[in-house]
Amino acid sequence: MERMSNYYTSVTRRLLFAFFCLCLVPLLAVGWITKNSLHDINIIRLQDQATATVTAQAKVVSQVLKDHINRLSMLVNLLPPSFFEQQGNTEKLFLAIDNRDDIVDLQCIAANGRQYAYVGPYRTQVEGKSYAEAPWFHETLLNGVHISNVFTGYRGTPHFVVAVTNPLKNYVLRATVNSSSFNSLLLAAQISPHSDAFIVNRAGDFQTPSLRGETTISPTVRTLISGDGSRAPVVTDDAVYIARPLADGRWFFIVKADVEDSMSVYIPLYRKILIIFTILFILALAAALLVSIMLARHIRHADMEYAANSMQFAQMEKMATIGRLAAGVAHEINNPLQMISSQASWIADLLPEEDPAKVKNLGEYKESVEKIRYHVKRAGTITHRLLGYSKKMAAQQEEVQLTDLLNETISFVEKEAENHEITIQRNFVPNLPPTMTDGPQLQQVFLNLLNNALDAAGEKGEVEISTEVCGRELVIRFADNGPGIARENLKRLFDPFFTTKSPNEGTGLGLYISYDITRKLGGSLKAENRESGGALFTVRLPISRLGEEALSR
Amino acid sequence: MTEMKKFNVLVVDDEKEFREMTVKQLLHRGMDAEGAENGRIGLDMVKQGHFDVVLLDVKMPEMDGIEALREIKHAKPLVEVVLLTGHASVDSGIEGMKLGAFDYLMKPMEFDELLDKLSDAFEKRRIQLEKIEAAQIKKHMSLPS
Repeated sequence: MERMSNYYTSVTRRLLFAFFCLCLVPLLAVGWITKNSLHDINIIRLQDQATATVTAQAKVVSQVLKDHINRLSMLVNLLPPSFFEQQGNTEKLFLAIDNRDDIVDLQCIAANGRQYAYVGPYRTQVEGKSYAEAPWFHETLLNGVHISNVFTGYRGTPHFVVAVTNPLKNYVLRATVNSSSFNSLLLAAQISPHSDAFIVNRAGDFQTPSLRGETTISPTVRTLISGDGSRAPVVTDDAVYIARPLADGRWFFIVKADVEDSMSVYIPLYRKILIIFTILFILALAAALLVSIMLARHIRHADMEYAANSMQFAQMEKMATIGRLAAGVAHEINNPLQMISSQASWIADLLPEEDPAKVKNLGEYKESVEKIRYHVKRAGTITHRLLGYSKKMAAQQEEVQLTDLLNETISFVEKEAENHEITIQRNFVPNLPPTMTDGPQLQQVFLNLLNNALDAAGEKGEVEISTEVCGRELVIRFADNGPGIARENLKRLFDPFFTTKSPNEGTGLGLYISYDITRKLGGSLKAENRESGGALFTVRLPISRLGEEALSR
Repeated sequence: MTEMKKFNVLVVDDEKEFREMTVKQLLHRGMDAEGAENGRIGLDMVKQGHFDVVLLDVKMPEMDGIEALREIKHAKPLVEVVLLTGHASVDSGIEGMKLGAFDYLMKPMEFDELLDKLSDAFEKRRIQLEKIEAAQIKKHMSLPS
């Protein structure tokens, strides 16, 4: 029994595992899909944000550069070279245009490369210098405009040079611009704490310091600036990079948007989803637990019933075999019994013809013959009962008089009851109506209940069997004065294989089968304890007449 | 014991001792009785003789009781048959009654029981015969007119 119990525990466990996995897999799948979708949506959003930011900020920086160029161009267009020949004029001009303190120095250079005016802090270093061979000078003459890369000048602040000329004016105006004014513009391009923004030139040199203090250019940025200025953002595992060309493609405005930072927007959503999933998970677990326990219980019940039915079937087979055997024996005995009977009645026929005077023991003979006839009759009753028993193995509906059936059943156990000095009391109502039912099956129930009652009553006990008509029902009660049924056993009494007897004495099937039979016959079987002590089993059967269907189940 | 009318009995049973004993007892009680050891012989004797009642064992070799009963009822419908069922299969007894047997008896039984049953069967035959006779007389009397 314990091994069986372990088996069902393992069944429950396996079912639980299976159901749990069944619930968990879709849950995890949905969770995974949700997480990935959120990530994908976030990347798209981040790309849009980065694109918008870089476009806007690049425009601002371009505008600043354009302003410098425009200012110088305007001066070149307006002023003749002779204006710069007077030092005082250049100084006044410098003061006039450096209203934002972003211009470091201003110089005017003739088309032949000779410098003829300078305003700024490095006069001693650069005065009188010839730029005829300088590449930037040639570029300015060629293109009209030059913007240099950023360099750290003598003052230790980052600068770049803007040079402008006009083909009609024969001189170049060159200003050194303090590029640190850009840095504040970059701040507006920082999307999140771990995001970055900076300006690099085509060679990959920083034109402004990186906001995150980077000193080297990542390979991703290098790929971005090496192309032909493709405007598409590049997405890596941890960031989105985007570049916009500045100053005719000499510089690039780079924005790096951090993926992890951006995901923080979703934290409340994640939390909500996590709570929902946790609830679902607990619900799934509870459902799996419930279903598996119920299923296991169901399986256990079905198994028990199956086992009980097989045993019942085997028992019936056995009884049928015994029945056939008994029938065979009875048949063989009936013929000699018939002969004894015939011979005895022959003697009885002949005896009266004898002369009583001549036959000394005539009375004795007559008496003896009568005794022989009586005992043959007795033996005949037994063989008929045996033959009847074998016939009973086939289930059928017939009209049964319960009083007779009970009397017959009691006769089976009378001897045993006598041996244990148990009194069997019969309280039968007279004229109990007959009912259509399966007599032999019912007898099995009665015999079972009767045997149980005798077992419970014990030595010198009492068993009472009573009948009653209750409306459309016949009620048969089997009561004993034994110890009664323990409260905890009352519930399990009719379960298959439940027994309080030792394994050799009872199969635990008797009451289960009895219960099963009465139910199949449309009746019921109930067990309870009597107030006066002992157990009481009540069988209720519908009274059905020929042609009526038993009120089955 | 009431005074009985004399009638003719054929005892058909393969059990020699029972057959002979029963015949002897019937004769002793004043009946005419003969024995046949199987259904076939019994059938022949019924066809040739004037038996009122046949006591027929159901279980016999060479034409069993049921078969013999069918043949007897076919040949002489008015001969009454009482079946003897050695094994208490009420079924074969009931089957026999459907085929026209008067009744059935189960072994072992008392001789008086047997005789009563045979008398009842004979009584039925007698009434049947009287009815037929009366009908014939009526028919005969009505013919000339």
